[in-house]
Amino acid sequence: MAKAPAETLIGDGSFRIGDRVVYPKQGICRIVGVEVQEVGGYKLEFVTLTREEDNARVMVPRTKVMSVGLRKVANVDLIDDMFDYLTSPSDTPQLDWKVRHRENDDKMSGGGLFGTAEVLKGLHALTRVRPLPQKERELYDNARHLLVNEIAAACNVPLHVAENNLDYALFPPPGMKRKGRELKLAVVPATGSLKSMREDDDLGFDDELDEEAAAGPGAKGQEGEGDEPGEEAEAAPAKPAKTKLRAVPEPDEDFGDDGADDDEVAPKAVPKAKADKAAPKAEKAAAREEKHAAKAEKAPAKATAKEEKRSAAKPAAKAVTKAEKPTAKPAAKPAVKPAAKPAAKPAAKPAAKAKPAAKPVKGKK
Amino acid sequence: MIRIVTLGELPSEVLDHVARRVHAAYGMGCEIAGSAELPEKEAWNKDEDAYDAVKVLAEVDDDTELYADDKLLYVTTEPLTGPPGPMGRGPVDGFAQQGGGRAVITSAELGGKGELTVEAGVAKRAAHHIGHLWDLHHCFDPRCAMHPGWTPGFLQYPEVALCLFCREKSERKIKLGQG
Repeated sequence: MAKAPAETLIGDGSFRIGDRVVYPKQGICRIVGVEVQEVGGYKLEFVTLTREEDNARVMVPRTKVMSVGLRKVANVDLIDDMFDYLTSPSDTPQLDWKVRHRENDDKMSGGGLFGTAEVLKGLHALTRVRPLPQKERELYDNARHLLVNEIAAACNVPLHVAENNLDYALFPPPGMKRKGRELKLAVVPATGSLKSMREDDDLGFDDELDEEAAAGPGAKGQEGEGDEPGEEAEAAPAKPAKTKLRAVPEPDEDFGDDGADDDEVAPKAVPKAKADKAAPKAEKAAAREEKHAAKAEKAPAKATAKEEKRSAAKPAAKAVTKAEKPTAKPAAKPAVKPAAKPAAKPAAKPAAKAKPAAKPVKGKK
Repeated sequence: MIRIVTLGELPSEVLDHVARRVHAAYGMGCEIAGSAELPEKEAWNKDEDAYDAVKVLAEVDDDTELYADDKLLYVTTEPLTGPPGPMGRGPVDGFAQQGGGRAVITSAELGGKGELTVEAGVAKRAAHHIGHLWDLHHCFDPRCAMHPGWTPGFLQYPEVALCLFCREKSERKIKLGQG
């Protein structure tokens, strides 16, 4: 192990020993030296950094210093530009969790000042729509932590002052101005009741967890755009049906515990269901038939000659009844039947329908 | 242990209330450890007509002893200000050494119209700034004590409570500190 002299240039030549740098996702570090270590029989050069907040040691292969995203601490002008960005009117938050997760992950891995600010601002905007899931709550805290540290380092102010300034931008107090423009007052984000918080319900996620449990392991972590407020509003009147629908594997937004892993679990879950065949398919079939039956029940209320023809033409009604009776009578029968024999017959048909649900997952892999 | 030191005179019932609330929020012992003098000469900022919170912490003459993971909270009735940052100066209700051991809060501007009562306000500010001593950041949840103190959400929920995320984080930090 040998230490290089202080004049040693590192990376593209812009780093020197003793410089303060920002390591993506780690925060502010100081370059301590260059060490040669033997790894697997090869002698490799490592740039050694120490993280300022806790003196943790970070070692980066010298050849990868630039590719890991190491950069110098931002200067005051750049911090000023970042505050301009933070105080600019918010974009609509990205509601598709998959896109959001991918984008945020890329930005954080990139380690740029503006990337981190975008993550924070995006998640902050999302908090006005709904509370954040645990994983994103952590991401929000990490992004905030990195920014606070960099602002404090760049502007040479205490961490607490840096954090207050960050929040003067995100939650502007009355009369706060930015370059002559008065900022919009902070609004109170929507939350559950204080009582529920005291009962450890994690900001009102308990109902999501219940639904997740009801949906079973196959449905965990795949809701797709289900978190869109508009969609939730639409789904609200049909709440009892929502749990049933969740039983059918759909892309899910709630990746509460380990969102990234869920993607990997999902493709496995679908073939398993195929292999097992009996129980899950029967449940799905029963759920579908009930749904179709409910649709068909609505039909007789508006029963006219034209509607009879229409309902006869509907493939959904065909699937349920299998009979040629398109009017009120066939609708009533299947509503009772699925409860009586859920397993055998319906199991075959939904198998064919299950394919489209599986395709996007496969395609994704 | 969290120790509260007063800089100036505060009613004992307010301090008792603060100690109880802080104890409930962090599950740590909290005691009123006496009083000290505000460093008037060193910390007074005549431009802002308030005490510079950073300088107050740096210059306060206090011999309260701290052990291991002890935290020290100074409470004053005088208005506080802070150094300007990239956004200029904003409202300051206290200052904490992030991840450190000491914090100062003020009861100024509390008890007025549209503000929290002095008891509730000081308790919430105390919990907030002690949270910073455990390295907690501001929280977007208005019910959480770590929500920024100048927002309408902070006033809307006078109860001193931490959201689940902040509570778990503080518990982790407290355990690490004790270890």
